[in-house]
Amino acid sequence: MVNTSPAVRLTAVHKRFGAVRAVAGVDLEIGRGETLALLGRNGAGKSTTIGLLLGLDQPDGGGVELFGGPPARAVRAGRVGAMLQDGHPIPRVTVAELVAFVAAAYPCPMPAAEALELAGIGALGGRRVDRLSGGQAQRLRFALAVAGNPWLIVLDEPTAALDVEARRAFWRAMRGYAARGNTVLFSTHYLEEADENADRIVVMDRGRIVADGSGERIKQAVGGTLVSFDLAGGGTEGLRALPGVTAVEVRGDRALLRSGDSDATVLALAAAGRVRRLEVAPARLEDAFLSLTDPMADAPDDPAGGPDGERTGDRAAGPPGAVRAKGTARGRAGRGRKEPVR
Amino acid sequence: MSRRLGPVLRYARLEVRRTLRDAGYVITSVAMPLTMYLLFTNLGASESAADRADYARYAMVGMAAYGALGAALGIGTGVADDKGRGWLRQLRVTPLTPAQVVAGRALTASVTVLPALVTVLGAGAAVNGVRLAAWQWAAVAGLLWLGTFPFTLLGLGNGYGLSAQATGVASMASMMGLSVIGGLWIPVALFPRWLAAVSRWTPTRRFGDLGWSVLDHRGPSLGTVAVLGGWLLLFGGYAVVAYRRGARTA
Repeated sequence: MVNTSPAVRLTAVHKRFGAVRAVAGVDLEIGRGETLALLGRNGAGKSTTIGLLLGLDQPDGGGVELFGGPPARAVRAGRVGAMLQDGHPIPRVTVAELVAFVAAAYPCPMPAAEALELAGIGALGGRRVDRLSGGQAQRLRFALAVAGNPWLIVLDEPTAALDVEARRAFWRAMRGYAARGNTVLFSTHYLEEADENADRIVVMDRGRIVADGSGERIKQAVGGTLVSFDLAGGGTEGLRALPGVTAVEVRGDRALLRSGDSDATVLALAAAGRVRRLEVAPARLEDAFLSLTDPMADAPDDPAGGPDGERTGDRAAGPPGAVRAKGTARGRAGRGRKEPVR
Repeated sequence: MSRRLGPVLRYARLEVRRTLRDAGYVITSVAMPLTMYLLFTNLGASESAADRADYARYAMVGMAAYGALGAALGIGTGVADDKGRGWLRQLRVTPLTPAQVVAGRALTASVTVLPALVTVLGAGAAVNGVRLAAWQWAAVAGLLWLGTFPFTLLGLGNGYGLSAQATGVASMASMMGLSVIGGLWIPVALFPRWLAAVSRWTPTRRFGDLGWSVLDHRGPSLGTVAVLGGWLLLFGGYAVVAYRRGARTA
């Protein structure tokens, strides 16, 4: 039987915890062999989405399929490996014992030594799990995710608490696994990580998908220059069609235009007479990301949660991008169905 | 069949290794019962040699049962600990089924109670000169081994239902309380009448009876089997409820 269904298919998935709408209507399809980053701040709904996708939690509404069937079946069949955010390996076993045990639960695992090698802990097989450093334990968790040779691995914030060097080594290992033709889904709140390691980035905020595209497109949307002015009661129609503009946002009475060509945008605005309190400022990447995911916030004090040094300075202003940002399209975000902005 | 059973055996093997490497297990389930057995039977100044021999036999079964009880309940602490670190959730994204995980844990207990039993029985024979017929040794060991099962279920119930810390407290309290009231530490013959009456209904008293009845050349009484059977159902029900509540969020 040839099964060609996508690795992951979420259809209008909803999940509520008490009063909190953790996932509020997510449609997502991940093709086989794709490496996808789920980008968003803490509380954006990434982990909940991952829990639903793995069958660890049941959605209140909507459908979840892995390889064309229910998640439990794919998990049972050994097609899925995961690195959960709060899944810590158990003490009093050696690294090799634990990896061999998990591998043996799968129908066609890779040799334990290979999993250790791939995770970059080939020399630590005899070490007791409780004696690993934080970074080593993280790599062990990666080894456990891949040991069964699954088709899909899901990594929930895999680099949290890793230093720069360990992070680099980790992504090398992940790309190695993806290069074998496997599907990888990882979550992160670092745009840079998502951009460097994924074919496609899906941005989540408040339980919804707010943008979906290649790293280049996401960066175009959030990079560039921010041109803002007072609407003074005027409408927003036509703003998006101005030269250079990639996204339009309204905060209170102020319009914020993200532009890849601010000179052209400003000239066009001037021609239209819309220059009240006009400001042109370079969009710092993290501010831009925040505005992409949270246009209602008036005092952003948590710029997406990343270390400050990580994402500053990236102001690449590309040609007008084609990212669907909040307000332009909600939910449905299949690959290759990105709606051009103009 | 073996596709179902293989993972259970591998999981049990991993968990047995982990348990044997756990200093807490070795102390509470092996070293403590053995030390207490040797102390109680050799420090007390009994009048006659016959009394001493009698007590050495009685306490041998009591302390072996006490150690096994600790090992069986200790399974719950392990489960609660693994639940707390998110390991049970991690296992749910492997092909292992929840039933295989629970079965693996129960099987683990059936192995880790053995050192507790064997050590104290061995000390009875080697140090305290307890002499029994071969069938009696086999029957005492075998019946006590089987008798740990209700306590394994209690341990699993605690482990799935409670936090790691609460499980530790619950296990320790039930181990101490049930051991004392069940007469595993102090002969029931020394109890006031009301306590002796309560004791008859405890699972630990009946657990000890499995062994004590063999010393008297009788088998376990129908009453013992019935009371233990009742506790088995009760603890089994508790384990199922706790599992359903706890594993879903694990």
